[in-house]
Amino acid sequence: MAKGLPKSFKKALWVYHINSGSCNGCDIEIIAALCPRYDAERFGIKLVGSPRHADALLVTGPVTRQMVEKVKRAYEQMPDPKAVICVGNCGNTGDVFYESYNLVGPIDNVIPVDVYVIGCPPRPENIINGVAKAWMKLETLEAKK
Amino acid sequence: MSKGTTKTTYQLPIGPIHPALKEPVMFEFEIDGEKIVNVDVALGHVHRGIEWAGTKRNPIQILYLAERICGICSYCHPMAFALGVERVSKIVVPDRANYLRVIHGELERICSHILWAGVAAHEIGFDSVLFLTWQMREKVLDLTEYLTGNRVTKGITMIGGVRRDITEDMHPRIFETLNYFKENFEKLRHIFLDDKTFKLRSQGCGILKKEDALSLCAVGPTARASGVKKDVRLDQPYFAYGDLEFDYVTPDVLTGEVNGDVYDRIIVRLLEVKQSIDLIEQCIKNMPAGDIVAEKKIAKLLATLKKAKGEGIGRMEAPRGEVFHYVKLNEGDAPYSWKVRAPTYSNILPWIPMLKGQQIADIPIVAASTDPCMSCTNRVSIVHKNERHILDKETLHRMSVEKTRRLMA
Amino acid sequence: MTKCLTPEDLVKSFADKFQVKIKESRIEKYAHGSKKTEFSHIWMRIDKSIFKDVVKHLFTFDEHPHFAVASGYDMGSNIELVYHFSLYGGERNHEVSINITVELPKSNPVIETITDLIPGAVISEQEKQEMLGIKVKGIPKNTRIFISDDFPEGVFPWRRDETGPDKMVRNLHGVKK
Repeated sequence: MAKGLPKSFKKALWVYHINSGSCNGCDIEIIAALCPRYDAERFGIKLVGSPRHADALLVTGPVTRQMVEKVKRAYEQMPDPKAVICVGNCGNTGDVFYESYNLVGPIDNVIPVDVYVIGCPPRPENIINGVAKAWMKLETLEAKK
Repeated sequence: MSKGTTKTTYQLPIGPIHPALKEPVMFEFEIDGEKIVNVDVALGHVHRGIEWAGTKRNPIQILYLAERICGICSYCHPMAFALGVERVSKIVVPDRANYLRVIHGELERICSHILWAGVAAHEIGFDSVLFLTWQMREKVLDLTEYLTGNRVTKGITMIGGVRRDITEDMHPRIFETLNYFKENFEKLRHIFLDDKTFKLRSQGCGILKKEDALSLCAVGPTARASGVKKDVRLDQPYFAYGDLEFDYVTPDVLTGEVNGDVYDRIIVRLLEVKQSIDLIEQCIKNMPAGDIVAEKKIAKLLATLKKAKGEGIGRMEAPRGEVFHYVKLNEGDAPYSWKVRAPTYSNILPWIPMLKGQQIADIPIVAASTDPCMSCTNRVSIVHKNERHILDKETLHRMSVEKTRRLMA
Repeated sequence: MTKCLTPEDLVKSFADKFQVKIKESRIEKYAHGSKKTEFSHIWMRIDKSIFKDVVKHLFTFDEHPHFAVASGYDMGSNIELVYHFSLYGGERNHEVSINITVELPKSNPVIETITDLIPGAVISEQEKQEMLGIKVKGIPKNTRIFISDDFPEGVFPWRRDETGPDKMVRNLHGVKK
């Protein structure tokens, strides 16, 4: 990890995942990141079932009209401090879905994003890197207080 | 509406199911105590307007768009589209390309079935089996990356053939992975088919009778587990399947009887993994020499497609069932019309007879046993009337796991 | 299983029964693989009035014809629907695909449902209603299926005329100036 950080993280990062209309490619790589090969769980990163317990939000997919409200609600339910990680090219810029009648823009039109992980789909190592960067941001914010 | 029944709505995660992979899905059931009395189906969520976008791009750009319809069956959609276009424009695919296409298709099938096996185990409550099977899946993904360059969206389709060759020096690596699977297949079979708890949870659960499967037009392992012999690879052999030796996979191959329940679907998928390994070996042994694509220069290919006029259909057997693409070319840059029908589309209506009479705790495993891929289809929500209760995904998963613990005790 | 007819006999059976209302038909044969195993696709263009009877006639060949999907497109003054069926599945290299094209004038885009014969067709029919603006007479569920409820009425994504989706289209790559 980067210098300037304490040697051990003060707490483990709990992550909530929401799929706003993606093709599932990114979602499979997120699960693969938790499996024994890449093993994000050894860092304490855990997937939780409710946004109220989460520190970071993993969003995939270009946001469809049906999912806009749900994404906003998940973001509002998360307690501060929180970080939003946008996984995959669809959420960043739209990728191949750049023109559509049912999509409401890239994710940063809907909620503010902290870390962008690019790739279609991004490799599991890339996703863990993105989560670690979000973690550093949160820890830095905590340290400043 | 009878007295004593309450309507309950809850969110069911569909797709590779893990707290993470929550595909946008909502169900509402009419329940009486613990039993499901009635189920209604409605759809709609991951709709990105892909078929409309297809009318604005040229066929080669559509290949990349079609790949992202679904990340798990990301090989079948561009291939079925390419089949349709080749049939309209009368492009002849070289023999070697056909064999290569079979190899990639079967690799994807192995990958998808192992992924599903892990998910099914997770829904029953065996997380360690989830990790075991996904660890095995990593071996297949390594091989895929070696052959095509990427783990998930492969980008190996081209209209008229494939984009990369498999040369002799790659064979040892392929055989190494296949041997790994042959050695571990017995372990998988023992975990899924011999374990007492798996049997208790899955036998007699979520039964789909043969007449229902036929009248609701179910496809893929869901239909084959009910005894219906439907497999596009054998019914209308495409690629090189007409040259290969194999047969329909139905549960009576292993157990001698057909019940149409969740256990039968597990049997069909595990046997198909074995069949895929065998097909890949046959292909490598009999691969003819030759070109890997009909027309190497893309500009020339596009010019040919621009002059084509007509309609064509491409049908393929994806891991989940029959993928159907209809293409209408009308002498322009872009196709005039493009229709995609993913297999989950046809497998949703069979949920209704499968879930009637089941307990709520069985919903995750029954829904997961049809291996639905919501981004192929869009969303499902099962709607009913009256009083509303929200049972979220956590609660449902917990109920399913608790039922397993009760049975084990 | 009833005896399998050849594609030519199938087409002849339709032509004998429905005469001139079958506007045109063609058989396309495809061969794949080194052994060149062949199979056939039948394409028929029929008059709207005999649509339901044509579907019923399919049942005389196979107890359970397989319905894949219905596609459709806008041809200017008409909307054309193509229904994709297949017969004789279950034995190696026996299946025949039958594609039936029906023309509906935009002034009266009504077609009958086939869900009483094939219950699995309901999702396809709902989709055509919302994408092309046709009316399926007798459909058991008359709700939207893929498009959200807040999408405006009267906008049909697959149409190429003034009711098309152009005003709803957003470009995600667009940059605010």
